Formats: sequence, C-alpha cells, structure tokens
Amino acid sequence: MTGNPFPDSPYDIRGDLLSAHEAALACIARPGTWLTGGQRVWIAEEVRNARNCPACAELKEALSPDNLSREHTSLGNLSPAQVDIVHRVVTDPGRLSEGWCRGHIDGGMPEGEFVEMIGVIAMTVITDTFAFGLGLPEAVLPEPAAGEPSRYLPPGVRREAAWLPIVEPGDEVPEDGPLYPTPTAGYIHRALSMVPQSKRDYWNLAGAHYLEGKQVYDFGDSGRAISRPQIEIIAARISALHQCLY
Amino acid sequence: MLRESSNAADNEIDLHDITEGYRHDTDIAHAELLMGFAEAVARRDENGTSAHRQKMLELMGEPATVDAAAIAAAFHGFVRLADAIGIPYEGAAGGTDSTEMRDEIGISDFYRARNA
Repeated sequence: MTGNPFPDSPYDIRGDLLSAHEAALACIARPGTWLTGGQRVWIAEEVRNARNCPACAELKEALSPDNLSREHTSLGNLSPAQVDIVHRVVTDPGRLSEGWCRGHIDGGMPEGEFVEMIGVIAMTVITDTFAFGLGLPEAVLPEPAAGEPSRYLPPGVRREAAWLPIVEPGDEVPEDGPLYPTPTAGYIHRALSMVPQSKRDYWNLAGAHYLEGKQVYDFGDSGRAISRPQIEIIAARISALHQCLY
Repeated sequence: MLRESSNAADNEIDLHDITEGYRHDTDIAHAELLMGFAEAVARRDENGTSAHRQKMLELMGEPATVDAAAIAAAFHGFVRLADAIGIPYEGAAGGTDSTEMRDEIGISDFYRARNA
C-alpha cells in the first residue's frame, strides 16, 4: 500500500474511498498482464501530461478527430502509439472510433495491451478527477514494482460485441479469477474482461466511487450521502458532456 | 438510471437537462447545484469547481460534497472505458433507452451515434 493519498485533505473522506485510492495507486505500479509496473506508471504520468497537450487542444476544436495536424507533446517514455491512445482517451473520448482503435491493433499493438492501457488510464482519471473535484493535490504516483507481465489470455475471450475482445458472462474459466457478480452484468462491466486483473482493479476503485455491483439496480437507499437521483443526475450530465452514449 | 431512480423516488425530471443543462423543471433536490458542479469538473474549471464545492458544503454538508466529487470522478472513468473499448450502447440502462427518447433529447446527435 502507498499510504493515504490525500494526507492534507480538510475533508473527512470515507474510509472505503481512501482504501480504494490507495489500492489503485499500488496496483498501477505493479506489473500487469501485458505491461510492466514502469510502463503502467508512465501511462499514468502521460495521462496528467495529456491535459496540457497543444495538439490535443487543437484536435478537440477540430471538426474531425482524424485531423491531427502535429505530434502530441509527450513525456517521451511511451511509444507514439501508446501516447496517441493515452492522449485521445483522456482529451476527446467521445470521438473515438472503431477505425482508430483497430488501426492501433493493426499497427502491432496487442489487444490485451490496449485493454490494459485503458484500465490504467481510466483509473488515473478517476483518482485525479476526485482530487480536482475536492480541490486537493493529485496523489503522488508510487515507484514501480519489479516483475514481468503475466501475459495471461482468458481462453473464452472473443471479439464480437465490442471493438476489442471481451469475456462474455458464462465464458469465463476458474483461471480467470472472479469476473462477474451476476450473469447479467452489463457491457460496462465486461469492457475490461480481456484482462481480468485490470477489470478487478478498475471496479474496486470505481465501485467505491459510484456503487458496488449489487447496489446498481437497487434504486432505494443509495448508501451514500446523496440520493440515487442526485447521483444519477451528476452521472448523466458528465456522460453527456463527454458525448458518451452508454 | 436517472429515469429509473427518479421514478422510484417520485422525482420529476426533465431529460433535456442531461444534454442541455439545468432548465428548472427537474425537482431533484439541489439538481442545479450538482449539475453545475459536474459541468465545472468536466471542464476542469478550477474557479467554477471551487465555487460549486463551497456552496455544496454550505447547503448539503461535507459527506454529500465528498460523494458528489466521487460520483463525478467515477463517470470520468466510465465514459473512457465505454468509448475506448467500443462496447455496444444499445444495452445501456438495461436496454430501456428508446430511440425516440435519444432523438428527442439530442443523444442521437453525439459523434458516435452520427458515425455509427
């Protein structure tokens, strides 16, 4: 564990939220399934850097997301393909396309690496956005842990419903580890399933911020300090501002 | 989820708020403040976020403010997951979102819908 990521917070942050942030930071620095701990920390650092990329700012205003007129301004640790993925997912997620995604895969990026990158990006965005919302400094990223990626590929994974392969409920095997709380888990739950550990890491963090799996379809007591409709109006407005259809 | 949870709580909602911002017909408590906070965070507007946060602290208290920030953060992650993996959106909200509703409130004008 990395310790309290917000030691100077004037707010009394729920214990489960603090624990989820600590765990997220620790797992970002651990070797993943396709990426080393060092590469994962570089991705998190590049997430923060992307917010100030002039090329991304120009592209965000352009009519077409395909008109990247100059190179991204990167920290120099990742490959050009990795930088493009980080920057576009951070700065303009609503205009990603299957052609863009498959272009990176056809260019040589393993599908599992792409999926794992999205998990690290999304976790970093959550931790940083939480800090931003409360006016707190971003958490310090930990030193990467040593070790090699496992390169585990779930045998039941297939590309059918999404741009990238997923493990549909019912297709998982014991070696995947726990994947779904119910056989009817929505696609948002299936998105990272090609990399089971990334899926578990992401949902450990996301569930502490939104709702745990079993609470999502229970519209009674939210278990939070704001009501379920209050939760959902924040959620819906943010999704719309990102042009997210889901 | 907004519609289902509002029905369960007997709150009136104007779904146009989702795409156009608060329009005064939604009766969820502090909806305008919460949506303003969400917008400021999404735009990474430090001053706007700070102003809305202070007002939430005054009117709703600290635990509610922390939870509002947590929800805002969570959905900055969910949108990236959904849009980068390209999961099918037809099944969102348990498949209850009709095409007519999407057309009416402008969701069908989003980039991915226009370029599907």
